[in-house]
Amino acid sequence: MAIPTPVDSYPSPTSKSQSETEEILLTHLPTDSGPSTSQLQKNSHLQFVARNLIQGFPVRYISQDASQPWLLFWTLQSLSMLQVVLDPNNRQRAIDTLLAFQHPEGGFGGGPGQMPHLLPTYAAVCALAIVGKPGEKGGWDAIDRQKMYDFFKSLKQPDGSFTVSRNGEVDVRGIYCLLSVATLLNIITPELVEGTPEFLASCQTYEGGFASASFPYFVPEPSHSAPTLLSSPRPPLGEAHGGYTFCAVASWVLLKPFIEHSPSKPLINTRLLTRWLVQMQGVPIELGGFKGRTNKLVDGCYAWWVGGCFALLRGLDEEAAYHKDDHEVSTNANEKDEDWVDDEEIEIDDVWNPTALQEYLLYAGQHPAGGLRDKPPKPADAYHTVYCLAGLSTAQHRMNPDRTRRKVLEALWDEKSENQTWWMKEVYTRSMSWSEAIGKKRTVLGGEGNRVNATHPIFNLTTTHTEGIMTHFYQQPTPPKRQ
Amino acid sequence: MSSSPIPYAEQPEWADVVPLPQYESIDPLAPILYTNEYKDATDYLRGIVKVGEKSQRVLKLTEHVIRLNPAHYSAWQYRCETLLAIKAPLDVELKLMDEIAIKHMKTYQVWHHRRLLMTHLLRSTETDKGLQTSSRSPAQIATSELTLIARTLAEDSKNYHTWSYRQWLLAFFSDDSLWERELDFVDSMLNLDVRNNSAWHHRFFVVFQNGVREGEEDRDRILRRELIYVKQNISLAPNNASAWNYVRGILDFNKLPYSTLAPFVQPYTVSHPDTLDDLVDLENPPPSRGAQLPCPAAIEFLADVYEREGGDSVLKATELWKTLGNEHDTIRKRYWEFRVKEGLRTIQAQS
Ligand SMILES: [Zn+2]
Repeated sequence: MAIPTPVDSYPSPTSKSQSETEEILLTHLPTDSGPSTSQLQKNSHLQFVARNLIQGFPVRYISQDASQPWLLFWTLQSLSMLQVVLDPNNRQRAIDTLLAFQHPEGGFGGGPGQMPHLLPTYAAVCALAIVGKPGEKGGWDAIDRQKMYDFFKSLKQPDGSFTVSRNGEVDVRGIYCLLSVATLLNIITPELVEGTPEFLASCQTYEGGFASASFPYFVPEPSHSAPTLLSSPRPPLGEAHGGYTFCAVASWVLLKPFIEHSPSKPLINTRLLTRWLVQMQGVPIELGGFKGRTNKLVDGCYAWWVGGCFALLRGLDEEAAYHKDDHEVSTNANEKDEDWVDDEEIEIDDVWNPTALQEYLLYAGQHPAGGLRDKPPKPADAYHTVYCLAGLSTAQHRMNPDRTRRKVLEALWDEKSENQTWWMKEVYTRSMSWSEAIGKKRTVLGGEGNRVNATHPIFNLTTTHTEGIMTHFYQQPTPPKRQ
Repeated sequence: MSSSPIPYAEQPEWADVVPLPQYESIDPLAPILYTNEYKDATDYLRGIVKVGEKSQRVLKLTEHVIRLNPAHYSAWQYRCETLLAIKAPLDVELKLMDEIAIKHMKTYQVWHHRRLLMTHLLRSTETDKGLQTSSRSPAQIATSELTLIARTLAEDSKNYHTWSYRQWLLAFFSDDSLWERELDFVDSMLNLDVRNNSAWHHRFFVVFQNGVREGEEDRDRILRRELIYVKQNISLAPNNASAWNYVRGILDFNKLPYSTLAPFVQPYTVSHPDTLDDLVDLENPPPSRGAQLPCPAAIEFLADVYEREGGDSVLKATELWKTLGNEHDTIRKRYWEFRVKEGLRTIQAQS
């Protein structure tokens, strides 16, 4: 059944490490005689996560000293997906710790006294979405949104991109982090994101995925005014990559209200993107895990970075999906072989193999001592634990922009809240409308006991945490519970 | 192993600095269990940043922190600002950073720091003739960067930051003499590993994405050259997604129909192609003897040819997608089903 990846009698370093990996993965395939390994070891993963939280991170995490908000976000979001809530005392400690990362000039740093930076800003705000609340000591109202906005503006570049910090590098991770935070905190404006869609579009490579950034070519102006950015060439720097692709596509979905209002209407190639995404899924001998680049090895974290992109594809074509839902008859994914029924609709987020991904995560992704990992025989770590779990979540739950939900939110929209703008309602209702698709349940491999919580395809927060923080900052009433 | 250094508090030249602990009034959740040396160095760094000191000793301190944790972006940022404030010779800095770059090539900051140094070096060679001017010309500086990059890629041939730094450098200096040798460089990388996607991407970047350089004005010739190059590489190792993506990329970029390659692709789509091995056809090199056929990427390509032909050919495309989904590429069954549906809809719309 599991056929090795062909080498064509022409081995190279890539094919050698590929074969070595396949040999190891083969030993993780479940056998008829062996013990069932398809259980998600929730308890040992919880212990792994809780140990870091309570005892602290071991000394090798010094390399993450500039990512302290990330350590907290990874831990707290892992707990959320494992359906565990922190006790009030540790919750308060988490809030106090996170606020210690806020910089006096706006934004959050990688630790106390560190410079503000877009990546830890996302991690800190999302962690606060999980543990925080309104009011004194709740954390949310201690976020300085005006200074945050000023910090964001100070990072803007002439090509529509942002540096991650003062004089820092430009890349689409930073843009994703900025847009996520600006959306959650209700500080996004057309001015802030002007030119950003064009920048993102220029990062799509010939393969279909996205690169870290692109190079801006300018022509000097004869007068003393600023040089002009050339619309072409704007070559991508680096090849198509799973992490950057997630960030670029999620950013695009967040920017949709602004793109639709912009006169230039920049485009990305969704067909090419879809092809690249499905090509990243490993073959059966790779247990259906995802890789992050062409001809690289499968790795558990791409379960989220690449596997998570399929739900986002629905967000790219939200308006079309919107109208179709009216007369659409929901169908279950057809699992039967050799079945090519013509009347069955296949939607764009259903073109991959979520069951195979669950196999990779359960068989190869779990470390026997707790926590999840890149691949065997590697150790588990906080980063791979959260993104393997998020990948598992996206393989178990089909999240769609839900038209009915959006209508509910639109009807509830309180016009009387402060400083209303044309985009606020749209930004809010779009981000809040992501819901699990009814009648399109996916197979939960290993049984219901393996189920983890659903996570928001853009922010990687549970829907409860997303709704909590967004209703607060958009001053909107709590929407009714979903069915 | 090195012995632990003398703590800053015991060094007289640091006596005037007040170290700043990370957490003063709170009991942090999930703290990192630091070594004493790391805690000491970062306490002093926080103390220095707080008072805004920019001096020679700050370079020592930030170097210490960076060596312990090269991902400490604030230490890098503060170091860079200090270098510029005290007008430190940037050539010296660059040399010091060579070793750190090789050692910590997987870190973003290492490469970004070099970009900042390049930006300032180029600016200073262009504008003032002051002290910080490097004795080398911009092209000399960039050439030695390319050499350093080649050294790091020899150790880690797919390092993302290193490749994107190379691309940035070429575009930033935009000097024809630098671009000249890039194709040879790509070729040497692909000779080491024909499946190195970073090298294929670099080739695309060099040939198609940065305008047209001297000697490359005849685009038809360039295109022919690239098609022959990629076809030969496909013939060596047909199941190489990087090469197939490259050939699709150049056809898309140049708006050429996929059908121009149908004669080449066809033998790769069957188990036993009836090609004559001894017939050397540069335009259509056949699969090597060791090739494992049929090659799913070739079947996909041929299906795309049929789909674009339209009419009855779309049906032939759907047949190929079905064989992919059922036989040759089962993990992507849903995707191939999706393509079949799409194809059938096209046929319906036409009739
Ligand atoms: Zn990983």
